[in-house]
Amino acid sequence: MKTLGFFKALPGWVVLLLWAVVVVLPIYALFVSCFKTTAQIYDNPLALPPQWTGANFVNAWNSLSLGQNLLNSLIVTVCAVIVTIIVSAMAAYPLSRYDLRWGPWMLLLFLAGIMLPIRLASIELFDLMKRLDLLDSLAGLVFVYIAIRIPFAVFIFANFMRTLPRELEEAARIDGAGELRILFSVILPMILPAVSIVAIFTAIAVWNDFFFPLIFIFSDNNKTIPLAIAGFVGQYRTDWGTIFASLGISLAPVLAMYLVLARQIREGIGTTGAVK
Amino acid sequence: MDKRTRLHLAAIGFILPALVIYALFVLYPLVISLWGSFFQWRGVRTTGFIGLGNFARLFVFPNWPRFSGAFWHNVAWFVGIMIFQNAVGLIFAYLLFRRRRFGLFLQSVFFFPAVLSPVIVGALWKLLLAPNGLAEWLLNSAGLHSGRLTVLSDGGWALWVLTAIDAWNWMGLPVLIFAAGLRQIPAEIFEAARIDGAGAARILGSVALPLLVPAISAVTTLTFINSLNQFDIVYVMEGVAGAPNFATDTLVTYFYRLAFGSVGSTGITDTGLALALGTILFLIVTLGTIFLLRMFDRATVRP
Repeated sequence: MKTLGFFKALPGWVVLLLWAVVVVLPIYALFVSCFKTTAQIYDNPLALPPQWTGANFVNAWNSLSLGQNLLNSLIVTVCAVIVTIIVSAMAAYPLSRYDLRWGPWMLLLFLAGIMLPIRLASIELFDLMKRLDLLDSLAGLVFVYIAIRIPFAVFIFANFMRTLPRELEEAARIDGAGELRILFSVILPMILPAVSIVAIFTAIAVWNDFFFPLIFIFSDNNKTIPLAIAGFVGQYRTDWGTIFASLGISLAPVLAMYLVLARQIREGIGTTGAVK
Repeated sequence: MDKRTRLHLAAIGFILPALVIYALFVLYPLVISLWGSFFQWRGVRTTGFIGLGNFARLFVFPNWPRFSGAFWHNVAWFVGIMIFQNAVGLIFAYLLFRRRRFGLFLQSVFFFPAVLSPVIVGALWKLLLAPNGLAEWLLNSAGLHSGRLTVLSDGGWALWVLTAIDAWNWMGLPVLIFAAGLRQIPAEIFEAARIDGAGAARILGSVALPLLVPAISAVTTLTFINSLNQFDIVYVMEGVAGAPNFATDTLVTYFYRLAFGSVGSTGITDTGLALALGTILFLIVTLGTIFLLRMFDRATVRP
């Protein structure tokens, strides 16, 4: 499309920049508030801090076990992402590459999970976790997240695998490679964009989830970041500097990831049109 | 063993790990929950089949006001997001689509809140909207408002404020989906419309919109599912009872109270009622999603 004239384009730019301000201003206020006392925040929420002190961060870190919470979130996220990718790629491979009469039905069964409101099954899920002795454990969370993320991952993998030429695995088969070898060293390397889409969106969903830790985690030692933050915000209502610092600490890893992966995320949504 | 049998066995072996985890932690609890909604419960034990008894209880006092209230809040949430997030997001996407320079950069800025946990977003906005917070300071400085800002404890405002925050959180998603949809429309179509003398608004309305049906379908369906599942923002900003006075109560916060209880007078759990509510919500989400997908599929225009 041709470049617009300056005056014709101006109203559009104003609208876009206005929303950019609406997005950035709260994040900016969060950032400067991390370095201020509550009184200074009340006085002018947008002013730069008089001095850049880390007192709030020290307070937040000490009154919460944020280090432990970050580590828990990291463990759960990494495990869930890795296992989701492996088992979903394995399931998607025969469903998209083999000629099976029951294949489409099995695929449909998996895809149904994309819209199933699993939160509503949480009473029975709680009961199941109790019987499996998985309550109040990171392993329990990992299993639930894998199960919830499998439908989306199978959907993405099957869609990408379908587009590959058939000669690919036939050549490998003639060379005597086993099916597992073919999947992991021939097929998956061809669909790395799909792997990164699944990895990124699984990681975001798992890292941010609040509902299942709220139900399944009881001890402070096993809390993930969203659960710890939700509890903290409820308790320390008056010490704003410390709350902002705790939000800042939990937001920092996500911001760092986003600065690196923004382009992949943008293109990933462009190609799938789905995120949750 | 012949070749076909070996193929089937290999396929089953490959599918099994995913299927076992998915069936055990998603399908099994879901099916048992649906089945359980037809039984009478005492605590966590069933005491007998009662057919639609639990469902009937949802529709009478004292449960009906909570149930219908929460239902309409979810409907309002869906409508609010469709307008303030998706319609506005479509305009943003169109404006960005016509601007090569900074267009992609702004898309990334707009999307950033979507990678944040709703808990962080809710906690942040709770502070910004509290008395003495940024919003009050800005409005008072600009002379648009004076005194204390209490929108979060005002029953007339709270639900809309929460919906707006959800829109702030997810605005980037429709923008990205619509922008990708616009890029797939052949450039000649826009060119032809412009040569015919159509203005920007006309091109968006009568040329782009009909060709964007798949994108609109994806965005609407996602919004529908997410609106009916609202929980995190409400829990963090207004508590599990949807303060003030249940003005922001949603079906999932109501379900959570029935299933797992909460502090105070609303602390009694009622498993049978919770399962019945879950079954109704399941039907709404599943049938609604299928309906939306079919409707949009029929409306799809192929260029």
